[in-house]
Amino acid sequence: MANHCKPALSYDSLQEDSNSYKNNSYLLYRDPLQTPVKKCKLKRVDSTPRQERALRRDFLRQRNHITDGDSGDRGDRGDRGDGNGNGSVYGNSNGNAQFNALDLERDPFNDPSTMSNQQGKWREDQVLVICPGSQTTMAQLGCSELTPPAHRIPTRMFKDEDSDEYRPYYTYKRKKTKTETTAPTDVANNEDEWEYVEDRDSVEGAVYPIQGGRIVSMPAFLAFIDHVHSLLTTTYHNTPIVLMASPQWTRPDCEAIARYIFEKTKTPALCLLHSAVASQYGLKWSTMTVVDIGFEKVDVTCLYDSNIVSHKDLGFPTPVREISGGEVFTQKMLSLLKGKGFTYEMAEQLKRSSICEVLPYVSELPELMELPIESPVVASQGVAHAATGVEVPKITEPAKPTLITENDTENGEPKEPDEGVLDVANIVTSGNTREFLAKREKEKAEKAKTKKQAKGQEAEPAAAKLIRLPNTKRKTNVFHYEDLEHEDVQVPIPNSAPKPDPAAAASVEAPIIETSAAMENASISEEVKPQVKFIEGAEAKANGQTNGDSSAEPIKTVTERRTKRVRKDVEIGPERFLFADRGEINRITDTIYHAIQSIDDIYKRSACWDNIVFVGNGSRLRGLKDNIMQTLTSRHLISPSTATIFTSELPSNMATPSGTGSQTPTGSFTGQLPTTSSVNPLLQAATTASLGVPGQVHAPGSNAGDGTSHHSHGQTPMSIKQAVQPTYLADWTKNGFEEAMFLGSLVAARLAYCIHNLDTATTESQRYMSLNRVDYNENGPKAIRTHSMLGS
Amino acid sequence: MMAAQQPLPNSQAPLDVYGGDEVSALVLDAGYCHTRAGFAGEDVPKSVLPSFYGSIKTSNSDSTTTTYRDIFGDECLYPRGDFEVKNYMSRSESVVEDWDAATKMWEHMLIKRLQPDREMPPIIKNGPSEPAADGEDVAMEDVENHEKPLAENPLLMTEAPWNTGKAREKAIEIAMENWGCPAFWMSRTPVCAAFAAGKASALVIDVGGANTSVTAIHDGMILKRSIQKSPVGGLWLSQQIRTMWDNNEPKVNVVPYFMIENKTPVDAGAPAQARLRKFAFDITPSYRAYEEERLLTEFKESVVEVWRGPGRYLNPGNEELVKSQPGRVFEMPDGWNQMWREQRYRVSEGMWDENAALPNPDGSGKAQTIPEMIKACLSAVDVDLRPNLLGNVVVTGGTSLLNGFNDRLNNELMAMHPGMKIKLHAAGLTTERRFGSWIGGSILASLGTFHQMWISRKEYEENGVGIVEKRCK
Repeated sequence: MANHCKPALSYDSLQEDSNSYKNNSYLLYRDPLQTPVKKCKLKRVDSTPRQERALRRDFLRQRNHITDGDSGDRGDRGDRGDGNGNGSVYGNSNGNAQFNALDLERDPFNDPSTMSNQQGKWREDQVLVICPGSQTTMAQLGCSELTPPAHRIPTRMFKDEDSDEYRPYYTYKRKKTKTETTAPTDVANNEDEWEYVEDRDSVEGAVYPIQGGRIVSMPAFLAFIDHVHSLLTTTYHNTPIVLMASPQWTRPDCEAIARYIFEKTKTPALCLLHSAVASQYGLKWSTMTVVDIGFEKVDVTCLYDSNIVSHKDLGFPTPVREISGGEVFTQKMLSLLKGKGFTYEMAEQLKRSSICEVLPYVSELPELMELPIESPVVASQGVAHAATGVEVPKITEPAKPTLITENDTENGEPKEPDEGVLDVANIVTSGNTREFLAKREKEKAEKAKTKKQAKGQEAEPAAAKLIRLPNTKRKTNVFHYEDLEHEDVQVPIPNSAPKPDPAAAASVEAPIIETSAAMENASISEEVKPQVKFIEGAEAKANGQTNGDSSAEPIKTVTERRTKRVRKDVEIGPERFLFADRGEINRITDTIYHAIQSIDDIYKRSACWDNIVFVGNGSRLRGLKDNIMQTLTSRHLISPSTATIFTSELPSNMATPSGTGSQTPTGSFTGQLPTTSSVNPLLQAATTASLGVPGQVHAPGSNAGDGTSHHSHGQTPMSIKQAVQPTYLADWTKNGFEEAMFLGSLVAARLAYCIHNLDTATTESQRYMSLNRVDYNENGPKAIRTHSMLGS
Repeated sequence: MMAAQQPLPNSQAPLDVYGGDEVSALVLDAGYCHTRAGFAGEDVPKSVLPSFYGSIKTSNSDSTTTTYRDIFGDECLYPRGDFEVKNYMSRSESVVEDWDAATKMWEHMLIKRLQPDREMPPIIKNGPSEPAADGEDVAMEDVENHEKPLAENPLLMTEAPWNTGKAREKAIEIAMENWGCPAFWMSRTPVCAAFAAGKASALVIDVGGANTSVTAIHDGMILKRSIQKSPVGGLWLSQQIRTMWDNNEPKVNVVPYFMIENKTPVDAGAPAQARLRKFAFDITPSYRAYEEERLLTEFKESVVEVWRGPGRYLNPGNEELVKSQPGRVFEMPDGWNQMWREQRYRVSEGMWDENAALPNPDGSGKAQTIPEMIKACLSAVDVDLRPNLLGNVVVTGGTSLLNGFNDRLNNELMAMHPGMKIKLHAAGLTTERRFGSWIGGSILASLGTFHQMWISRKEYEENGVGIVEKRCK
């Protein structure tokens, strides 16, 4: 509608605009100070920011209604006064909507026709959920299953050489090999000798639209969103989008995104969701402190009763960017191991491997962690000690398409003790762990079959004991580095039948063994793995396929991108613990401390201290969460004082009785929401959050006294706890709740788009969870400020 | 200059119409302790940063020149070497002292934090064939033609009622010249605070960080003669607390949080057992003072209380009464803890009773108390206006959040004006009290009616910086 009506906004409508503006402004000009009073009288009633917003919306609505009433146009809106008719696009659509709806009831919010045509339209499998991160974007079509994300897409685009457009993959021109046969229909052939090749793994010249949570290149970001969309679905008109927003996104950013989505695509509705709110939806607690440790940023957001009450972030340019988050640890690792010839890629992989841990915080030791000592005797004694307290929980990694190898986790501790004596040396040197394990599995089965009394034999030599030590007790451990090497190989196709796929898949594996000799000179032990694992195999196949497709089919030789897995085993000393930079951990703990302690209302702080959650894949680092919690506890925890022994602990935590008693301390809502049984409590929480809780009204006029701000008076934190993670979603328990924001986005998608037949109040608040096309046409991009879950 | 002759695209607008909500007006409220910035029409400022900023000294390799790099925001104020913490505001006046830093700070908040990242304009566009001198000109032109960062955002700034004309002119100059704002307005903090409370006429008692002011507002205009200002604010109270700690038995050892690596619980009054953090560099006194202030803030939040009255705290019997009541324990960052009973009332009494102020080491303890300021303010106001003012007393500022503050204020006012109708208006929400004047500015700038008031770019270009004195009365 907006598009083909654009010319309709002619000079006339602008004239009307200005006329009505004159009328109204004259009316309003008489008492410039009267209006604030009116508005503030409204304000008097509210007591939470949410409610106040709701009231303000109401107020503005009324005001617009009144000003619009007589002239039938909105004099004061969208009119930047571009007299030459080049008004902003949303101004136009604005005008149109009004002209078209002139005869309808003016208040769109009570208009049943608009209500019905945008509610209850979508099925759960139609919703597109996108959670962009600065490195990886999680996305999925459909929210019917609350599963971990179906797609993880690297958040990067590539600037096209020839135009201003962006491409999703690195694309380069390659000289084509001469072909004898003619290929008349081939597009690539038109450009003489050159062909374009997409390299899906290359990062050469990549533009990362998000850095440290901020959108640094909006065109690239929008192109990326488009790319994600086209990867997952081809339809627009019935695919509403849930897009998670970082706290760093500015208001104009959000408006630009809304504008793009509604004007350049046919998306029917957009829901912008604050990442901390998303995490909250995923973890279901209404009060929590969300610590989001990302790639180059850390966000700490305190939510109290589903309201954001405090936020601090690290990694924002001030004015130079000082990054914080997972990348800091990688950099530290790299700096420690540079002498050993480590590359960035190796450091990153090492950081993710199971042998890398953040050791528990030990307050007495000079390094604040207990580094393993050389002597095996001491170390083996330490096992029992370790088993009691310092055991670091194993962290489950999501099945990443590359990099994370199962070998690592299988080599990890928990599996070994139930097996017999393992010849670790053999495993690590052979590198062929998969095969080895399969063999072992067979052996074990045999052993179990033949002699079951073998248990008596398992008194092991001391050397074997050392092997069984947990990683934290071992001075060194072996890091299996796997690298993918690509090279372009000319493969002659034996028969000219256009069937490159099986040939490609087979040939990837065949020639690898020959190259192994060349790689032998790497640091310690290195070999080429003769087998391509199934994930890699699939990828290589896919690669082969795409390349096979892109190159001309009938030619005799096929240029093929081959992916080999090169494997190196490197012995890593204490660096694998020392990379846990204390400075960085202190920055994170300080940020958490300041974020919670700067919550305005003191009584809200202790609840936030008791429900700390860590999200973001930076927090997957083994032991990091525990170390942060231990650091916070040993540094900031306020212990019960002996000074209160004769009185009671109570008074310092109880509300101070107000002298006048004029205002009862009920102004802020602390109890559980009254959930009706039929409504999803999350929705209830969400909806009440966006509109405030009705019924909490200040007695007007009598607000002398201290009011609500001193519910309790005491220091925090008296306790510091992590919030309990939900256990009812098995997939997510396995995946880890580091990606809870994605789960929350799925939940939000359901709430915003797929729940129907609600009572009127809830339907009304559901409207404010997302922005649909009708409202967009009505109000322009700025409607995203109110029709979203951006937390403010 | 070229810039002055070439009107920016926005200023070609035939009608200078700005309803704040429609055009994303910005509101900037600078105080000594915090600077608040955000979009008009919102109820809390999006960006609240300490007015303290960091300055890192970097010596160049030839060690003849040292340069300072300024960094802004709470998160960058952590222990570093060669690191000073400064403030761009004047402590005694709560007006801008260092304009260079102020500009940078405001740009950081208004542009970096609230506006999207712009793609860096290519610095050198000209090809290598062009002569260098010519190329420079081209580059200059590019910079000027490049749209200014706030070309779409009218800006409303608040100022202390005693702000000088020169400072106001400087402010509009920065907004118009540096940022290219299409419109500008300056409003006084008490007026904004009164608006936030829904009053056009009010007696505004603003108990802030560096200063406390009492101002009479009538019909949205400040009554100049009524302006009263006293240092009795948050920092003054901090100083009182320090004095109290020094005189405590045993003397309280102030160790701010950043110095503590970890602590072990100890009995009340027992010496602290804490492990200190070691730094490879010297911590500057300014950074330490900044961190100590954080600790003092916590003490104020959780321990200090105002004697509610009736009567003064020093009146006989009151102290004994308080002593019999349970006190509050405060644990220092290093674990040392003590119960505070009567002292926590005593320390804030100087705000009300001059004789109760603890003498600072430099003898600067005494200051004009709040009741005296109110008295002086009202006596400078026409008698007919007084009843109306007393019926509309607006309390704002972060330090007014002290427990018992409003009760005491109410009692003092009743004692001073028996028989008069006295009504206090203090926002229940902590944020509204802390950001009172910002919220008032936000309401003002988002009003449709206010678009008549803005000083437009055109007016500025016609009249120069003097326009702000003429218009923003």
